[in-house]
Amino acid sequence: MIEHIVAWLERPNFIAFVIFFLWGIFIMVAHANLVKKLIGMYLVQASVIFLLVTISAKSQATVPILQGTDAVQSESPTIDPDQYSNPLPHVLTLTAIVVQVATLGVSLALVTAIYREYGSLDEDEVLQRIE
Amino acid sequence: MSHLPVIIFLIPFLSAISMPLVGLKRPRWCRPMTMVSVFAMSVAACVNLWLVLNHGETRYAFGGWPISTALPDPPLGIEWVNDALASVMLVTLSCLASVCLVFGGPVTPQSLGRRTALYYTLILLLISGLTGIVFAGDIFNVFVFLEVASLSAYALVGVSGGRALVASFRYLILGTLGASFYLLGVVFFYAATGTLNMADLAQQMADKPELLTSKAVIGGSTFMFIGFGIKMALFPLHGWLPDAYTHAPDAISPLLAGLMTKVALYAWVRVMFWVLGARADLSQVHLLTLLGALGSVAAVVGALMALGQQNLKRMFAFSGVSHIGLILIGVSQGNAAGFAGGMFYLINDAVTQAAMFFIAGAAVYHHGARTVDEIAKLRQGSRWLTGGLIILALSMIGIPPTGGFFGKWHIILGAMEAGNYFAVAAVIVSSLLTMAYFQRLFVRLFSEQPASPGEPRVETHLAFRASVGVASAGILVLGLCSDPIVKVFRSIAASAGL
Repeated sequence: MIEHIVAWLERPNFIAFVIFFLWGIFIMVAHANLVKKLIGMYLVQASVIFLLVTISAKSQATVPILQGTDAVQSESPTIDPDQYSNPLPHVLTLTAIVVQVATLGVSLALVTAIYREYGSLDEDEVLQRIE
Repeated sequence: MSHLPVIIFLIPFLSAISMPLVGLKRPRWCRPMTMVSVFAMSVAACVNLWLVLNHGETRYAFGGWPISTALPDPPLGIEWVNDALASVMLVTLSCLASVCLVFGGPVTPQSLGRRTALYYTLILLLISGLTGIVFAGDIFNVFVFLEVASLSAYALVGVSGGRALVASFRYLILGTLGASFYLLGVVFFYAATGTLNMADLAQQMADKPELLTSKAVIGGSTFMFIGFGIKMALFPLHGWLPDAYTHAPDAISPLLAGLMTKVALYAWVRVMFWVLGARADLSQVHLLTLLGALGSVAAVVGALMALGQQNLKRMFAFSGVSHIGLILIGVSQGNAAGFAGGMFYLINDAVTQAAMFFIAGAAVYHHGARTVDEIAKLRQGSRWLTGGLIILALSMIGIPPTGGFFGKWHIILGAMEAGNYFAVAAVIVSSLLTMAYFQRLFVRLFSEQPASPGEPRVETHLAFRASVGVASAGILVLGLCSDPIVKVFRSIAASAGL
């Protein structure tokens, strides 16, 4: 039991991710306000990106640009990968953020259109006005 | 010719980008431009299929970076896989999209006005996104294209305003949740293996058997499956589908119903058989057995729910949920017969679903018939719609010589071979339920007297006749030529290790 808890606490980023992810889903399910649903959606997406960034973090590492003697072109480069952080997760993160922004744009446009059409942002009220 | 996959993608993509430039000044050019580019894409896709079947698969390396052909060197670049499965899917996708565009002419939403160019941009972006999913050989690439296609789909569902907006919003919320789950699965896979390339992932899974039982891969594949499950509207994750398809503009429903869910299922098949491998277990549960059980439930429950619907489009939407289940039953039997049957049924179902929404859209356009009770009005029209409805009902129920029969036949053969009699029962029960809800339609259509017999017949619009005719002919041709197609799928199954 104790070792399980210790093992969990060794990875605080996972705990934070789970909290944000479930919190986002809870907001999406529990709130009737459409904008709040979008906030929940944004939180879910952001939490996944947060996980992607945190698992790629490396202590004592620097930006992935060859530095010092590494920069010299040589026959057999002796680059130590531990000294450089991995650029790929950050590239993925950027792409995911772009997708997230696009999703948010489309969803805000839809919410605006719903508000113009039905005069309310409350899901229950909108559904009532449809009937 | 080695650049053909990219050219096929660029045809709709470049015309999507240039559409606002041309279309805002000259709205009349939008539709011909869209048609020309999608027809050109279909021709290119057919050429591509011929090339792949005769000269073997090719892999496209973007920017010339090393890809999975250079294994065991790490694949650095983005890879597109142009194999038999992808090219067959691509031909289905592009030809079906052209027929949907032909159908869409008369029923284009009236309220567009100056936004016509943007409407066609969205359609082209949807098609190029789906093309990207079909080709992608990299799990993150699948995510990006899935979102390109989905975002266009959300906007297209809500394009005509009114109730569709709320349906589209629900679709967006659930679809984005699905995409987040999928991305989470990608993150887990990347954390466990350090690669995103499908072939490299598969190689690593084969080299290190302990990877398949690690928590990261189990969790990752579960999340990926939930994500795709939402996108492919697998029961019980289908909540967005009925509303979205019912309220979407009539020109858009066939496109979405025929393509969106099917391509998501195709993407899952890619991950399932080309990354995890057919023998993958989720802790103690055999993954394929689980999929088969979920598919059986979806097949039966979807058909049951379709039986209870009054609205025509809603009924067809639920039948789509049921048929996704049937396809899953097929691909999850773990043998070549089931896989070939499932993929054949996928293509047949894409055509059938599109045809159903053609008929539903045409019924609204000519007769204002939206519900099962009003379907008798169809008798005032020409025989094209009624004839098309009969052919596609035969296909949905599974009566030869339509494609549906051969698809179900091979699915059942596969399930028998695997000794999975529960799945056989599910296929048969769902076929019987399908018969029951078409029975309801045909009773209304043929036994009741039309409301006003003296009225002149309504001539069906040429676009409707063409699209319904082509789709019905497609269903029959798929049935009559099922043997060579199933053979191709069997050889694909062999390459996936089944």
